[in-house]
Amino acid sequence: MNNISPVKIWRNQKKIASLIGKIGVIESFTIIFVPPSGFEGQVPYPVALASFGKSKLTASIVDCDLDKVKIGAVVEVVLRRVKKTDREGVIPYGAKFKLISK
Amino acid sequence: MKTAVLGVSSSKFGELWDVSPRTLVSQTANEVLKASQLSIADIDAIYVGNMLSGILGNQENLGSFFAEELGANCAAFKVEGACASGGLAFHNAYLGIKSGAYDRVLVIGVEKMTDHKPDEVASGLMGAGSEEERVSGITFPGLYAIMARAYINKYKIPKEYLASVAVKNHYHGSLNPKAQFQRAITIEKALQSTMISDPLTLLDCSPISDGASAAVLVNEKNVGGKNKPVWVIGSGVATDSLGLSKRDDITSLKSARLAAIKAYKQANVKPADIDIAEVHDCFTIAEIMALEDLGFYQKGKSGKAIFEEKLTLGRSKELVVNTSGGLKACGHPVGATGVKQIVEVVEQLRGKADKRQVEDVRIGLTHNVGGSGAVAVVNIFKRAKDQ
Repeated sequence: MNNISPVKIWRNQKKIASLIGKIGVIESFTIIFVPPSGFEGQVPYPVALASFGKSKLTASIVDCDLDKVKIGAVVEVVLRRVKKTDREGVIPYGAKFKLISK
Repeated sequence: MKTAVLGVSSSKFGELWDVSPRTLVSQTANEVLKASQLSIADIDAIYVGNMLSGILGNQENLGSFFAEELGANCAAFKVEGACASGGLAFHNAYLGIKSGAYDRVLVIGVEKMTDHKPDEVASGLMGAGSEEERVSGITFPGLYAIMARAYINKYKIPKEYLASVAVKNHYHGSLNPKAQFQRAITIEKALQSTMISDPLTLLDCSPISDGASAAVLVNEKNVGGKNKPVWVIGSGVATDSLGLSKRDDITSLKSARLAAIKAYKQANVKPADIDIAEVHDCFTIAEIMALEDLGFYQKGKSGKAIFEEKLTLGRSKELVVNTSGGLKACGHPVGATGVKQIVEVVEQLRGKADKRQVEDVRIGLTHNVGGSGAVAVVNIFKRAKDQ
């Protein structure tokens, strides 16, 4: 179940690229202490639901001070490695958030 | 065609390491057939509610799998809708009777979760979410934690209100010999438990469980025998987006509101007519939202009522909620849960809930949710008149 499909990653590239650089506002968030498979090395990590005007996105927040993660804080979408690679060595990349001061 | 529930049965819920899914189902199915005074040869169709047998156990084709185990060659189906699989299996079984296609059907909800590592179970359950959510590294506690934080921020409720859901349901679980957790807890203990997904702590979360529940449904021509029929008077299903990011409001579940409207309309009853309800408290915040989505309370008001023990057995003057212990204390074998809720409501309506019995119950409701609200099933039941 933890296998990563390179075809799926390739197909999603355009969608991911269209998200990068967008600026949004945190609507709500959590901090994950008990992760799913592949994310064990990242705990504790915040995951936020952020609003980008007409659309919303759920993604984790990277490189941040947990105390600074708040409802209303501003985030930018960045490209980062999603999780640990699988047995075939495929490294999945996807959209994550970075806190920015504004 | 009027539809009645005849027999009901549940296994013990918990960490059942020495029992296989086959054994779990065959024991529960045989009990429910015995309770219904029927044999497997009398059954026209089997509906199995299950979510994770494929993703965790590599076993699909569950309709045939359990038909084989029970020695049947009738029609058999697996119905999947994440944690609402059991309720959806029941809904389809109900339609099977109502349509006139079948006279007697067996509904089984089953899940075997503790055979697998917790992180595998957490990933498997995320099969119910969106791809975007899987990429984000979120879990189901995480999705409900995001809803909880939004709800707390909007309605300014204290965390004690969330904890009081766990306290109530653990108290009810302490009276249920089938429950996974049969011990009462305090608000202080709930608030101090380990953080799982901020702001939800361990005691805000339902556990990983094994278990099976079953019910036999028949049309009005096949009622009789020792069991007074319990009539199914409404069954509504509705859906919403898989992921939270496609929703306008994350402090309420639209699927549950819509399913409830359908079920109330079919049953021709109002929220105030409901005497007992089993609601989907996969997390404490979920029960708070459920009571509002079902129309029992206005938005932002249900937490205070739970905290004031207005929905607790022995204290409530009107509605009592989750007498089984709910998902929180009775346990949450995901495919079994929706059927277990029906087992509890039917036993209450028949006056057979022992220490958990609510006095003079006439109408009961079940509310079963899949994913973070992507699907919801609401069923309404009424006891036979001459009881």
